Amino acid sequence: MKKTIHIPLGSQHISLLEPVKFKFECENEKIIGVDSDVGFVHRGVERACTTKFKFDGVGYVVARVCGLCAITHSMTYTASIEKMLQTQIPLKAKYLRMLLLELDRIHSHMLCLSHVSENAGFEAIFMRIMGDRELIMEIQELITGNRVQFDFISIGGVNRDISSEHIKKVKEALKVVRSKVDGYIDEFTNNWSLSLKYKNIGVLSLDDAYRFNAIGPLARASGLKIDVRNEIDYLPYSEIGFEMQTSTGGDIHARNVVRLNEIVNSIQMCENILDALPEGEIQTKVKGKPDGEVLVRYEAPRGELAYYVKGGGKPMLDRVRIKTPTFASIPSFSHIFMGSQYADAPAILASFDPCLSCTAK
Amino acid sequence: MKESFSKAFQNLFKKPQTIDYPVTEIKKDKDYRGLIEYCEEECIYCLKCEKACPPGAILFVGVENPPKNEKNKKGLKYHYNPYLCIYCQECVRACPKPNEALWQSNKKPTIGVASDRVNDEWFELEAIKK
Repeated sequence: MKKTIHIPLGSQHISLLEPVKFKFECENEKIIGVDSDVGFVHRGVERACTTKFKFDGVGYVVARVCGLCAITHSMTYTASIEKMLQTQIPLKAKYLRMLLLELDRIHSHMLCLSHVSENAGFEAIFMRIMGDRELIMEIQELITGNRVQFDFISIGGVNRDISSEHIKKVKEALKVVRSKVDGYIDEFTNNWSLSLKYKNIGVLSLDDAYRFNAIGPLARASGLKIDVRNEIDYLPYSEIGFEMQTSTGGDIHARNVVRLNEIVNSIQMCENILDALPEGEIQTKVKGKPDGEVLVRYEAPRGELAYYVKGGGKPMLDRVRIKTPTFASIPSFSHIFMGSQYADAPAILASFDPCLSCTAK
Repeated sequence: MKESFSKAFQNLFKKPQTIDYPVTEIKKDKDYRGLIEYCEEECIYCLKCEKACPPGAILFVGVENPPKNEKNKKGLKYHYNPYLCIYCQECVRACPKPNEALWQSNKKPTIGVASDRVNDEWFELEAIKK
């Protein structure tokens, strides 16, 4: 008879930032079975959206689902209400939304890369990336007025305009970040000891990515060409130079490379937005109450985020359903762990960039 | 590899990235979203800010000695809870007299500690309002 041992990872663990529980069935060091559990931080956000807040305030409620991708949540919700009310928002507001969304992606990916390094035992790179991430946080604060909760997007447009002085500061900061990111690409690709921890570890093949419905950078690292930004029409991504970033390895290294390339692409997009920022209004008046149902998708830093909103022509909505990227990726997470060494588990887990406050909401 | 070693070595002689708070003050932009400020004389008591506020941090409650303002026919008084406010500026955008009756400053709220029971008074106001 085979003798196996069960080792839990979480819900409280030194390598985790947020509570998720994986129960590994191990044969010596090798993981042969995985059981996962999420939902330790349930806050009842969906219920609150339909009972406590009117539809025009819900955008600020869903922004509190997640601290890292707050703006993606409020944008997707707002887009769904605008779609229901058939509102056309000004082009300048669309550009400003994209600017903030891409800045958000940059800092979220930087956070993920720093934690992958930390969990693989490279504290120095963790410190450096977190230090450079601060530049992005500062420009976000400059534009929106707050560091984490931007409250920048509202139904009908955006809340604040950007001044020429701020544009100059943002451009300068982006230039600095770009040079730093180039350095990281070199280090993540060529550093020998990093490659020991990343290359051929935690592999998800292209077939498995299809089979387990992988999304976001996790899928793109396996060569699966899916990115919601390529498929939506409510934000003009084709105008600002969006390019899908894919890789083929499917391992931790490939995920890091996809994220680094996405940061580079996002920086380019932000620069293009600032160069070609259209003139005009940033808000339109929106009239009416949401009636009917709508599903809107957007590419959050971790993958596809979907909002299903149903309204009955009243100020209170009938249903708000949030489908978050991490929750949809859990089957692929569990599959990747199978056959890996237990010692690699924290680094593999960090490379998924799990967001549990989104998942459990 | 060599470069990362040299960078790690150089970092030993660099200044820390963090600031020496509270000795050094945190840089604060003039556009930082902070507390909402109100001018009693300029207010026209249309109650639009109260309706627009997503968390309900502004309440107009009837009191015995209301502020003297000819527009204040119902004898209401403005109440604001900085601990509930999310500084989203919805109230200022809803206000017919922004920057005169209601505006957003870049001031920070004082820290609310549980033992101070900062919301007790507020819950009483909410009960009156209902």
